[in-house]
Amino acid sequence: MYELIKHSAWKFKSILKSKHFSLISIKMLPLSLLKTAQSHPMLVELKNGETYNGHLVSCDTWMNINLREVICTSKDGDKFWRMNECYIRGSTIKYLRIPDEVIDLVKEDIQAKSKNRNQQQQQQNRNTNNQQNNRNFGGKNRQNQNRNRNNPNNK
Amino acid sequence: MSGTLESFVGKPVLIVSCDGRCFSGTLKGFDQLINLILVDTHERIFSSSGMEQINLGLKIIRGDNVALIGLIDEAIEQEIDYSKFSKLEPIKEVIH
Repeated sequence: MYELIKHSAWKFKSILKSKHFSLISIKMLPLSLLKTAQSHPMLVELKNGETYNGHLVSCDTWMNINLREVICTSKDGDKFWRMNECYIRGSTIKYLRIPDEVIDLVKEDIQAKSKNRNQQQQQQNRNTNNQQNNRNFGGKNRQNQNRNRNNPNNK
Repeated sequence: MSGTLESFVGKPVLIVSCDGRCFSGTLKGFDQLINLILVDTHERIFSSSGMEQINLGLKIIRGDNVALIGLIDEAIEQEIDYSKFSKLEPIKEVIH
């Protein structure tokens, strides 16, 4: 019975660690998608009906965006303006249209990030283990330190 | 609150925006402000001559502009033949 519980716990852990689980648990946020879309062309429609076509330079957490090589179209689509650069306040945006391939880039980004996080965590675990080991063998080191402190030549 | 929206992720949804437009697509993600990610989006334009669908692809809709999010039942959706309806009224925009 105990073996069975142990085995199922191990299985659960391995599921948690597996790639499939990380794929399922990916949470895609609109603003992280927008961040990934940097340098891609996009269409932005404002609440007043004007549309802006351009390449995304940067964006922030308020959805304020910076576009390059912009073509602005009036609400009725009869007037056009060209400008090198523009900055759009996030609150005036109605929606954004983004190239389809960006959604795949987000998945890659998130996976790469979680991989990095895992590596960092492993590194941290290794460090804490080392610290614990040092603590275990600390008596000798501390003696050395004391000896150094007492040694006037080290000053 | 947003626990109910979580259950819509990965499923086909219909969005009605504040300006009265209809978008159908698959919900890929959302945040606290109800900004939405839609993939394979189609705009449904209703007019006196019936319904027309325009493909828009990947879209981020800002939460301010969302009036309604509905889950599409695909079985029922497939049964609806929009071409049978000769007159479909567009939805009016939200009045603030």
